[in-house]
Amino acid sequence: MNTSTPAIQIENLAYAYGRAEAVHDLSLTVQPGRCYGLFGRNGAGKTTTMKCLLNLLRPQRGQVRVFGLDPAKNEVAVKRLLSYVPDQVAFYPWMSVRETLDYLASFRANWNRKVEQDLLERFGLDPAQRTASLSKGQRTQVALIAAVCPETDLLVLDEPTSGLDPIVRREFIEAVIGAYQEGIAGRRTILVSTHLISEFEGLIDEFTIIDRGRAVLTLDADYARERYQKIRARFSQAPLELDLTAALRVRRDGRQLELIANGGGAELMARLRQHNPEELSTESLTLEEIFVATLKS
Amino acid sequence: MLFLISFKSGTPIYLQIVEQVKAAAASGALRAGEALPSIRPLAEELRVNRNTVAKAYSELEGLGVIETLPGRGCFLKENHSALRKGVRRELLTVEIDRAIVQAHHLQVPREEFLELIQERLDALDDKRRAHEGDEKED
Repeated sequence: MNTSTPAIQIENLAYAYGRAEAVHDLSLTVQPGRCYGLFGRNGAGKTTTMKCLLNLLRPQRGQVRVFGLDPAKNEVAVKRLLSYVPDQVAFYPWMSVRETLDYLASFRANWNRKVEQDLLERFGLDPAQRTASLSKGQRTQVALIAAVCPETDLLVLDEPTSGLDPIVRREFIEAVIGAYQEGIAGRRTILVSTHLISEFEGLIDEFTIIDRGRAVLTLDADYARERYQKIRARFSQAPLELDLTAALRVRRDGRQLELIANGGGAELMARLRQHNPEELSTESLTLEEIFVATLKS
Repeated sequence: MLFLISFKSGTPIYLQIVEQVKAAAASGALRAGEALPSIRPLAEELRVNRNTVAKAYSELEGLGVIETLPGRGCFLKENHSALRKGVRRELLTVEIDRAIVQAHHLQVPREEFLELIQERLDALDDKRRAHEGDEKED
Protein backbone atom coordinates (compact mmCIF):
# COMPACT_ATOMS: atom_id res chain seq x y z
CA MET A 1 0.00 0.00 0.00
CA ASN A 2 1.26 3.38 -0.99
CA THR A 3 1.84 5.67 2.01
CA SER A 4 0.53 8.66 0.07
CA THR A 5 -2.86 6.98 -0.37
CA PRO A 6 -5.31 8.76 1.94
CA ALA A 7 -6.69 6.65 4.78
CA ILE A 8 -10.13 7.98 3.90
CA GLN A 9 -11.29 9.79 0.83
CA ILE A 10 -14.89 10.91 0.50
CA GLU A 11 -15.91 12.66 -2.70
CA ASN A 12 -19.27 14.34 -3.27
CA LEU A 13 -21.04 11.82 -1.10
CA ALA A 14 -24.84 12.01 -1.01
CA TYR A 15 -27.30 9.84 0.84
CA ALA A 16 -31.02 10.23 1.52
CA TYR A 17 -33.42 8.16 3.57
CA GLY A 18 -36.43 8.38 1.28
CA ARG A 19 -36.90 12.08 0.75
CA ALA A 20 -34.90 13.09 3.80
CA GLU A 21 -31.44 14.00 2.62
CA ALA A 22 -28.91 13.04 5.30
CA VAL A 23 -25.65 13.80 3.50
CA HIS A 24 -25.33 16.27 0.66
CA ASP A 25 -22.25 16.54 -1.56
CA LEU A 26 -19.78 15.84 1.24
CA SER A 27 -16.06 15.67 0.48
CA LEU A 28 -13.18 15.14 2.88
CA THR A 29 -9.75 13.52 2.97
CA VAL A 30 -8.02 11.98 5.96
CA GLN A 31 -4.29 11.42 5.64
CA PRO A 32 -2.73 8.36 7.30
CA GLY A 33 -1.57 8.90 10.88
CA ARG A 34 -3.94 11.79 11.53
CA CYS A 35 -6.75 12.13 13.99
CA TYR A 36 -9.70 13.61 12.14
CA GLY A 37 -12.81 15.02 13.81
CA LEU A 38 -16.24 15.04 12.24
CA PHE A 39 -18.21 17.59 14.22
CA GLY A 40 -21.92 18.13 13.93
CA ARG A 41 -25.12 18.40 15.87
CA ASN A 42 -27.36 15.40 16.32
CA GLY A 43 -28.73 14.41 12.94
CA ALA A 44 -26.13 16.38 10.95
CA GLY A 45 -25.17 13.33 8.90
CA LYS A 46 -22.14 12.04 10.80
CA THR A 47 -23.37 8.50 11.34
CA THR A 48 -24.65 8.18 7.77
CA THR A 49 -21.21 9.20 6.50
CA MET A 50 -19.53 6.61 8.71
CA LYS A 51 -21.95 3.90 7.67
CA CYS A 52 -20.98 4.53 4.04
CA LEU A 53 -17.33 3.97 4.97
CA LEU A 54 -18.24 0.71 6.66
CA ASN A 55 -20.41 -0.48 3.77
CA LEU A 56 -23.44 -0.53 6.04
CA LEU A 57 -24.95 1.91 3.55
CA ARG A 58 -24.21 2.30 -0.17
CA PRO A 59 -23.52 5.88 -1.34
CA GLN A 60 -26.28 7.07 -3.66
CA ARG A 61 -23.95 9.57 -5.28
CA GLY A 62 -20.25 10.24 -5.03
CA GLN A 63 -17.74 7.76 -3.69
CA VAL A 64 -15.87 6.70 -0.59
CA ARG A 65 -12.46 5.07 -0.43
CA VAL A 66 -10.66 3.52 2.52
CA PHE A 67 -6.93 3.23 1.85
CA GLY A 68 -7.83 3.51 -1.81
CA LEU A 69 -10.36 0.66 -1.67
CA ASP A 70 -14.08 0.81 -2.34
CA PRO A 71 -15.81 -0.63 0.76
CA ALA A 72 -18.66 -1.96 -1.40
CA LYS A 73 -16.34 -3.94 -3.69
CA ASN A 74 -13.62 -4.86 -1.22
CA GLU A 75 -15.65 -5.36 1.91
CA VAL A 76 -13.39 -7.96 3.51
CA ALA A 77 -10.17 -6.11 2.74
CA VAL A 78 -11.57 -2.85 4.12
CA LYS A 79 -12.92 -4.53 7.26
CA ARG A 80 -9.48 -5.97 7.88
CA LEU A 81 -7.97 -2.47 7.82
CA LEU A 82 -10.37 -0.79 10.21
CA SER A 83 -12.14 -1.20 13.48
CA TYR A 84 -15.23 0.58 14.64
CA VAL A 85 -16.88 1.68 17.86
CA PRO A 86 -20.53 2.47 17.13
CA ASP A 87 -22.69 4.89 19.06
CA GLN A 88 -24.98 2.06 20.18
CA VAL A 89 -22.99 -0.95 21.31
CA ALA A 90 -24.76 -4.31 21.23
CA PHE A 91 -23.35 -7.69 22.24
CA TYR A 92 -24.87 -11.14 22.59
CA PRO A 93 -26.36 -10.82 26.07
CA TRP A 94 -25.69 -14.43 27.08
CA MET A 95 -21.95 -14.14 26.52
CA SER A 96 -19.47 -13.08 29.16
CA VAL A 97 -16.94 -10.30 28.50
CA ARG A 98 -14.31 -12.99 27.95
CA GLU A 99 -16.47 -14.93 25.49
CA THR A 100 -17.43 -11.74 23.67
CA LEU A 101 -13.79 -10.73 23.17
CA ASP A 102 -12.83 -14.25 22.06
CA TYR A 103 -15.76 -14.29 19.64
CA LEU A 104 -14.76 -10.92 18.16
CA ALA A 105 -11.09 -11.95 18.06
CA SER A 106 -12.03 -15.00 15.99
CA PHE A 107 -12.82 -12.69 13.06
CA ARG A 108 -9.43 -11.01 13.26
CA ALA A 109 -6.07 -12.06 11.85
CA ASN A 110 -4.29 -10.24 14.66
CA TRP A 111 -5.28 -9.71 18.28
CA ASN A 112 -2.93 -8.21 20.86
CA ARG A 113 -3.54 -10.18 24.07
CA LYS A 114 -1.30 -7.95 26.15
CA VAL A 115 -3.19 -4.81 25.15
CA GLU A 116 -6.44 -6.66 25.91
CA GLN A 117 -5.22 -7.60 29.39
CA ASP A 118 -3.95 -4.06 30.09
CA LEU A 119 -7.23 -2.48 29.06
CA LEU A 120 -9.39 -4.98 30.99
CA GLU A 121 -7.37 -4.05 34.08
CA ARG A 122 -7.38 -0.34 33.36
CA PHE A 123 -11.15 -0.32 33.00
CA GLY A 124 -11.63 -2.66 35.95
CA LEU A 125 -13.75 -5.06 33.89
CA ASP A 126 -14.55 -8.56 35.11
CA PRO A 127 -14.04 -11.01 32.21
CA ALA A 128 -16.59 -13.40 33.74
CA GLN A 129 -19.41 -10.85 33.78
CA ARG A 130 -22.26 -11.36 31.33
CA THR A 131 -22.54 -8.54 28.80
CA ALA A 132 -26.28 -8.23 29.56
CA SER A 133 -25.44 -6.81 32.98
CA LEU A 134 -22.80 -4.32 31.79
CA SER A 135 -23.49 -0.60 32.17
CA LYS A 136 -23.50 1.62 29.07
CA GLY A 137 -20.00 2.81 29.97
CA GLN A 138 -18.68 -0.73 30.41
CA ARG A 139 -20.25 -1.80 27.12
CA THR A 140 -18.40 1.03 25.36
CA GLN A 141 -15.19 0.00 27.11
CA VAL A 142 -15.54 -3.59 25.84
CA ALA A 143 -16.24 -2.22 22.35
CA LEU A 144 -13.08 -0.10 22.55
CA ILE A 145 -10.98 -3.09 23.64
CA ALA A 146 -12.38 -5.03 20.69
CA ALA A 147 -11.51 -2.13 18.38
CA VAL A 148 -7.95 -1.57 19.66
CA CYS A 149 -6.71 -5.17 19.99
CA PRO A 150 -6.76 -6.02 16.24
CA GLU A 151 -4.25 -3.14 15.76
CA THR A 152 -5.86 -1.92 12.57
CA ASP A 153 -4.58 1.06 10.61
CA LEU A 154 -7.86 2.93 10.99
CA LEU A 155 -10.06 3.40 14.04
CA VAL A 156 -13.55 4.78 13.43
CA LEU A 157 -15.35 6.16 16.48
CA ASP A 158 -18.99 7.23 16.15
CA GLU A 159 -20.09 9.45 19.05
CA PRO A 160 -18.13 7.16 21.35
CA THR A 161 -18.48 9.12 24.58
CA SER A 162 -22.02 10.48 24.45
CA GLY A 163 -24.13 9.32 27.34
CA LEU A 164 -21.11 8.32 29.43
CA ASP A 165 -20.08 9.84 32.72
CA PRO A 166 -17.06 12.21 32.77
CA ILE A 167 -14.66 9.71 34.35
CA VAL A 168 -15.47 7.03 31.78
CA ARG A 169 -15.10 9.59 29.00
CA ARG A 170 -11.65 10.57 30.24
CA GLU A 171 -10.54 6.96 30.51
CA PHE A 172 -11.86 6.28 27.04
CA ILE A 173 -9.83 9.06 25.48
CA GLU A 174 -6.71 8.17 27.46
CA ALA A 175 -7.03 4.59 26.23
CA VAL A 176 -7.34 5.78 22.63
CA ILE A 177 -4.17 7.84 23.05
CA GLY A 178 -2.22 5.32 25.09
CA ALA A 179 -3.29 1.99 23.67
CA TYR A 180 -4.31 2.71 20.08
CA GLN A 181 -1.84 5.47 19.21
CA GLU A 182 1.04 3.48 20.72
CA GLY A 183 1.43 1.67 17.39
CA ILE A 184 3.74 2.58 14.53
CA ALA A 185 3.75 6.36 14.21
CA GLY A 186 1.99 7.55 11.10
CA ARG A 187 0.15 4.25 10.68
CA ARG A 188 -2.65 4.73 13.18
CA THR A 189 -5.42 6.88 11.78
CA ILE A 190 -8.49 7.93 13.75
CA LEU A 191 -11.82 9.25 12.49
CA VAL A 192 -14.02 10.39 15.33
CA SER A 193 -17.47 11.88 15.07
CA THR A 194 -18.71 13.79 18.08
CA HIS A 195 -20.62 16.76 19.34
CA LEU A 196 -18.66 16.58 22.62
CA ILE A 197 -15.78 18.43 21.07
CA SER A 198 -13.88 19.75 24.05
CA GLU A 199 -12.95 16.27 25.25
CA PHE A 200 -11.29 15.39 21.99
CA GLU A 201 -9.72 18.80 21.47
CA GLY A 202 -6.15 17.73 22.22
CA LEU A 203 -6.42 14.69 20.01
CA ILE A 204 -7.78 16.33 16.87
CA ASP A 205 -5.34 17.24 14.07
CA GLU A 206 -7.94 18.33 11.57
CA PHE A 207 -11.71 18.55 11.48
CA THR A 208 -14.80 19.08 9.36
CA ILE A 209 -17.91 20.71 10.74
CA ILE A 210 -20.96 19.20 9.12
CA ASP A 211 -24.40 20.73 9.26
CA ARG A 212 -27.57 19.37 7.69
CA GLY A 213 -25.49 16.98 5.61
CA ARG A 214 -23.14 19.62 4.26
CA ALA A 215 -19.51 20.30 5.14
CA VAL A 216 -19.41 23.91 6.34
CA LEU A 217 -15.83 24.18 7.54
CA THR A 218 -12.68 22.07 7.22
CA LEU A 219 -9.52 23.22 8.99
CA ASP A 220 -6.31 22.12 10.65
CA ALA A 221 -6.92 22.38 14.42
CA ASP A 222 -3.83 24.47 15.26
CA TYR A 223 -4.52 26.77 12.35
CA ALA A 224 -8.18 27.13 13.38
CA ARG A 225 -7.21 28.18 16.91
CA GLU A 226 -4.77 30.69 15.47
CA ARG A 227 -7.40 32.14 13.15
CA TYR A 228 -10.41 32.31 15.42
CA GLN A 229 -9.95 34.80 18.22
CA LYS A 230 -12.11 36.36 20.85
CA ILE A 231 -11.11 39.99 21.43
CA ARG A 232 -12.34 41.95 24.42
CA ALA A 233 -11.98 45.71 24.85
CA ARG A 234 -13.18 48.24 27.37
CA PHE A 235 -13.08 51.98 26.76
CA SER A 236 -13.44 54.97 29.09
CA GLN A 237 -16.44 55.97 27.03
CA ALA A 238 -18.33 54.20 24.30
CA PRO A 239 -16.39 54.72 21.04
CA LEU A 240 -18.54 56.27 18.34
CA GLU A 241 -16.96 55.43 15.05
CA LEU A 242 -15.46 52.03 14.92
CA ASP A 243 -15.41 49.95 11.77
CA LEU A 244 -15.67 46.36 12.89
CA THR A 245 -17.16 44.80 9.75
CA ALA A 246 -14.14 42.49 9.56
CA ALA A 247 -15.32 40.72 12.71
CA LEU A 248 -17.42 37.58 12.51
CA ARG A 249 -19.52 38.68 15.44
CA VAL A 250 -19.72 41.78 17.64
CA ARG A 251 -21.26 42.11 21.09
CA ARG A 252 -21.52 45.53 22.68
CA ASP A 253 -22.52 46.57 26.12
CA GLY A 254 -21.93 50.26 26.75
CA ARG A 255 -18.18 50.74 27.04
CA GLN A 256 -17.42 47.07 26.57
CA LEU A 257 -16.92 45.22 23.34
CA GLU A 258 -16.46 41.58 22.48
CA LEU A 259 -15.51 40.49 18.98
CA ILE A 260 -15.09 37.13 17.36
CA ALA A 261 -12.54 37.29 14.57
CA ASN A 262 -12.10 34.74 11.84
CA GLY A 263 -8.66 35.85 10.68
CA GLY A 264 -7.62 39.49 10.72
CA GLY A 265 -7.45 39.52 14.51
CA ALA A 266 -4.26 41.59 14.52
CA GLU A 267 -5.84 44.30 12.36
CA LEU A 268 -8.92 44.45 14.58
CA MET A 269 -6.69 44.72 17.65
CA ALA A 270 -4.76 47.59 16.02
CA ARG A 271 -8.00 49.37 15.18
CA LEU A 272 -9.28 49.05 18.75
CA ARG A 273 -5.94 50.21 20.12
CA GLN A 274 -6.27 53.52 18.25
CA HIS A 275 -9.18 54.35 20.53
CA ASN A 276 -6.98 53.93 23.62
CA PRO A 277 -8.87 51.16 25.36
CA GLU A 278 -8.59 50.84 29.13
CA GLU A 279 -8.35 47.15 28.63
CA LEU A 280 -7.69 45.02 25.57
CA SER A 281 -7.23 41.28 25.52
CA THR A 282 -7.43 38.39 23.11
CA GLU A 283 -7.65 34.64 23.33
CA SER A 284 -8.09 31.83 20.85
CA LEU A 285 -11.40 30.10 20.45
CA THR A 286 -11.45 26.44 21.39
CA LEU A 287 -12.68 24.01 18.74
CA GLU A 288 -16.03 23.83 20.53
CA GLU A 289 -16.36 27.62 20.45
CA ILE A 290 -15.42 27.61 16.76
CA PHE A 291 -18.12 24.99 16.20
CA VAL A 292 -20.72 27.13 17.94
CA ALA A 293 -19.59 30.34 16.19
CA THR A 294 -19.70 28.62 12.79
CA LEU A 295 -23.17 27.17 13.19
CA LYS A 296 -24.66 30.29 14.73
CA SER A 297 -23.37 32.81 12.18
CA MET B 1 8.12 18.16 35.03
CA LEU B 2 4.54 19.35 34.90
CA PHE B 3 3.07 20.90 31.78
CA LEU B 4 0.17 23.25 31.42
CA ILE B 5 -1.54 23.20 28.03
CA SER B 6 -4.01 25.84 26.95
CA PHE B 7 -6.18 25.64 23.86
CA LYS B 8 -6.88 29.36 24.15
CA SER B 9 -3.33 30.63 23.82
CA GLY B 10 -3.24 30.49 20.03
CA THR B 11 0.11 28.69 20.19
CA PRO B 12 0.15 25.18 18.68
CA ILE B 13 0.15 22.50 21.39
CA TYR B 14 3.50 21.03 20.38
CA LEU B 15 5.09 24.49 20.59
CA GLN B 16 3.66 25.01 24.07
CA ILE B 17 5.43 21.83 25.16
CA VAL B 18 8.67 22.94 23.46
CA GLU B 19 8.53 26.36 25.09
CA GLN B 20 7.76 24.98 28.53
CA VAL B 21 10.73 22.60 28.40
CA LYS B 22 12.98 25.46 27.26
CA ALA B 23 11.70 27.72 30.04
CA ALA B 24 12.16 24.97 32.64
CA ALA B 25 15.72 24.43 31.40
CA ALA B 26 16.50 28.16 31.48
CA SER B 27 15.15 28.61 35.00
CA GLY B 28 16.83 25.48 36.32
CA ALA B 29 13.50 23.80 37.11
CA LEU B 30 14.78 21.04 34.86
CA ARG B 31 18.47 20.22 35.24
CA ALA B 32 20.92 18.68 32.80
CA GLY B 33 20.65 14.91 32.91
CA GLU B 34 17.14 14.95 34.34
CA ALA B 35 14.51 12.86 32.57
CA LEU B 36 11.48 14.20 30.78
CA PRO B 37 8.25 12.24 31.02
CA SER B 38 7.93 9.51 28.39
CA ILE B 39 5.77 10.30 25.39
CA ARG B 40 2.89 7.92 26.07
CA PRO B 41 2.14 8.81 29.72
CA LEU B 42 2.56 12.51 28.98
CA ALA B 43 0.17 12.36 26.02
CA GLU B 44 -2.35 10.47 28.15
CA GLU B 45 -2.02 12.86 31.06
CA LEU B 46 -2.43 15.97 28.90
CA ARG B 47 -4.98 14.15 26.75
CA VAL B 48 -3.30 15.31 23.60
CA ASN B 49 -2.41 13.40 20.47
CA ARG B 50 0.63 11.18 20.97
CA ASN B 51 2.09 12.55 17.72
CA THR B 52 1.93 16.07 19.16
CA VAL B 53 4.18 15.11 22.07
CA ALA B 54 6.46 13.15 19.73
CA LYS B 55 6.71 16.21 17.47
CA ALA B 56 7.59 18.45 20.44
CA TYR B 57 10.30 16.05 21.60
CA SER B 58 11.81 15.66 18.15
CA GLU B 59 11.85 19.46 17.81
CA LEU B 60 13.61 19.74 21.19
CA GLU B 61 16.07 17.10 20.10
CA GLY B 62 16.75 18.96 16.87
CA LEU B 63 17.41 22.12 18.86
CA GLY B 64 19.85 20.20 21.04
CA VAL B 65 17.83 20.82 24.21
CA ILE B 66 17.19 17.17 24.98
CA GLU B 67 18.64 13.85 23.92
CA THR B 68 16.98 10.48 23.53
CA LEU B 69 18.79 7.50 24.94
CA PRO B 70 17.32 4.38 23.30
CA GLY B 71 15.38 2.30 25.79
CA ARG B 72 15.93 4.82 28.58
CA GLY B 73 13.97 7.89 27.55
CA CYS B 74 14.55 11.59 26.98
CA PHE B 75 16.91 13.70 29.06
CA LEU B 76 17.85 17.34 29.28
CA LYS B 77 21.23 17.93 27.68
CA GLU B 78 24.17 19.78 29.16
CA ASN B 79 25.05 23.00 27.34
CA HIS B 80 22.25 22.52 24.99
CA SER B 81 22.50 24.95 22.09
CA ALA B 82 23.64 23.10 19.01
CA LEU B 83 23.40 26.26 16.92
CA ARG B 84 26.20 28.57 15.90
CA LYS B 85 26.44 31.89 17.67
CA GLY B 86 25.32 33.87 14.60
CA VAL B 87 22.20 31.75 14.21
CA ARG B 88 21.43 32.03 17.92
CA ARG B 89 21.64 35.82 17.72
CA GLU B 90 19.42 35.87 14.67
CA LEU B 91 16.75 33.75 16.36
CA LEU B 92 16.82 35.94 19.43
CA THR B 93 16.63 39.11 17.33
CA VAL B 94 13.28 37.97 15.93
CA GLU B 95 11.88 37.57 19.44
CA ILE B 96 13.30 40.88 20.63
CA ASP B 97 11.89 42.71 17.61
CA ARG B 98 8.49 41.28 18.39
CA ALA B 99 8.72 42.58 21.96
CA ILE B 100 9.88 45.98 20.70
CA VAL B 101 6.85 46.27 18.40
CA GLN B 102 4.61 45.32 21.30
CA ALA B 103 6.35 47.90 23.53
CA HIS B 104 5.73 50.58 20.93
CA HIS B 105 2.01 49.78 20.79
CA LEU B 106 1.73 49.70 24.55
CA GLN B 107 3.60 53.03 24.72
CA VAL B 108 6.43 51.70 26.84
CA PRO B 109 9.42 54.02 26.23
CA ARG B 110 12.98 52.81 25.57
CA GLU B 111 14.30 53.36 29.11
CA GLU B 112 11.41 51.54 30.70
CA PHE B 113 11.67 48.71 28.17
CA LEU B 114 15.38 48.23 28.93
CA GLU B 115 14.69 48.37 32.66
CA LEU B 116 12.02 45.72 32.24
CA ILE B 117 14.45 43.45 30.40
CA GLN B 118 16.98 43.86 33.23
CA GLU B 119 14.27 43.09 35.73
CA ARG B 120 13.20 39.93 33.90
CA LEU B 121 16.79 38.71 33.59
CA ASP B 122 17.25 39.26 37.31
CA ALA B 123 14.02 37.41 38.04
CA LEU B 124 15.22 34.43 36.00
CA ASP B 125 18.58 34.49 37.83
CA ASP B 126 16.76 34.49 41.15
CA LYS B 127 14.69 31.52 40.07
CA ARG B 128 17.78 29.66 38.93
CA ARG B 129 19.51 30.39 42.23
CA ALA B 130 16.49 29.13 44.13
CA HIS B 131 16.56 25.88 42.14
CA GLU B 132 20.29 25.52 42.79
CA GLY B 133 19.54 25.92 46.49
CA ASP B 134 17.11 23.01 46.21
CA GLU B 135 19.79 20.94 44.58
CA LYS B 136 22.22 21.43 47.50
CA GLU B 137 19.58 20.37 49.96
CA ASP B 138 18.91 17.15 48.01
